[in-house]
Amino acid sequence: MMKYVKPAMLLVAFVLFAATASLAQQKVSTIKFDELQKIRASPHDTLYVVNYWATWCKPCIKEMPYFEAITQQYKGQPVRVILVSMDAVQDLEKRVIPFVEKRNLQSRLYLLDEPDGNTWIDRIEPKWSGAIPATMFFNNKRKQYEFVERELSEAELQELINKYKP
Amino acid sequence: MKNTTTPLLYMVCLLFVGFLMAAIPASDSGYQVGDTARDFKLKNVDGKMVSMSDYKNAKGFIVTFTCNTCPYSVAYEDRIIDLHNKYAPKGYPVIAINPNDVQVSPKDSYQDMQVRAREKKFPFAYVYDETQEITKAYGATRTPHLYVVQKQKDGKFKVAYIGTIDDNSREPEKVQKKYAEAALDELVSGKAVSQPNTKAIGCTIKWREA
Repeated sequence: MMKYVKPAMLLVAFVLFAATASLAQQKVSTIKFDELQKIRASPHDTLYVVNYWATWCKPCIKEMPYFEAITQQYKGQPVRVILVSMDAVQDLEKRVIPFVEKRNLQSRLYLLDEPDGNTWIDRIEPKWSGAIPATMFFNNKRKQYEFVERELSEAELQELINKYKP
Repeated sequence: MKNTTTPLLYMVCLLFVGFLMAAIPASDSGYQVGDTARDFKLKNVDGKMVSMSDYKNAKGFIVTFTCNTCPYSVAYEDRIIDLHNKYAPKGYPVIAINPNDVQVSPKDSYQDMQVRAREKKFPFAYVYDETQEITKAYGATRTPHLYVVQKQKDGKFKVAYIGTIDDNSREPEKVQKKYAEAALDELVSGKAVSQPNTKAIGCTIKWREA
């Protein structure tokens, strides 16, 4: 009897580990501007919702649960929320990752490692003054695009998703 | 018949123009480089009212929208002090304006401004745009947001530079391009500003909620 206990415990441990791993938050990948441009140019018939935020930005953190809710609500559907952190790359380990872990964020996460906004802001959106939060909605297949440079309410976000979701 | 329809037509036209104007987003309003910037009368942390016209010998100003709370503003505090110390003797002092509404951002209150100015020993005026009228007129959208203005012969203030201080908010020692200093150096030596618009990531201005 005893000789089965250990493998059984291991199995239980493995199942628990697998279960928690599947619920674990997303990893934060550090990207440069050309990779951000690739995301912006995604050719798929998918509504991309790219939100620019930072751990130090209060209004960004306020609206973040609404974006997370969209990720949950549209699982398996062509709606993709991407959270792009404007935090400095030096703050990835001690600020961004702990933040992501604490909130168990499920949306796709990137950190844009481009300290000089002047070299890229105009190239991704000339209308953007550089204030965050800011959010882009686009479906390149359908030639749809909308840019919002302010904090969104839950209702405003849902309205924009309803307007553009394929 | 003609007398009644003509005024009606005017009204419809006026309404239409009104709609068009209302549709222009806030980010497109405000000053562009080359525009004349209005003067202001705002309360400094020492309790006195400050206007650009008070500085008789100034050749211009580094009007800086900044605040107590935005981490980017805090990261740039020492560099704003340095800008003032370098360019005030050359005729371009800093006037820092806090644009944030105290209801939305309580730590940006006038009292907190006084505390911060004392802690950092700000050598420049740090004034409060409580009504946000000046912030809207200039078209500032984030903190920090710089407007370098140059005094003209007629006493008006012409916007010569709008943008950021440099290319690295997080690591001052890694700065390669000092955008604001480059613009100021050109102004001081009587040249046109070669890069009059720059952008950076910053905090949104905390607008008063309706």
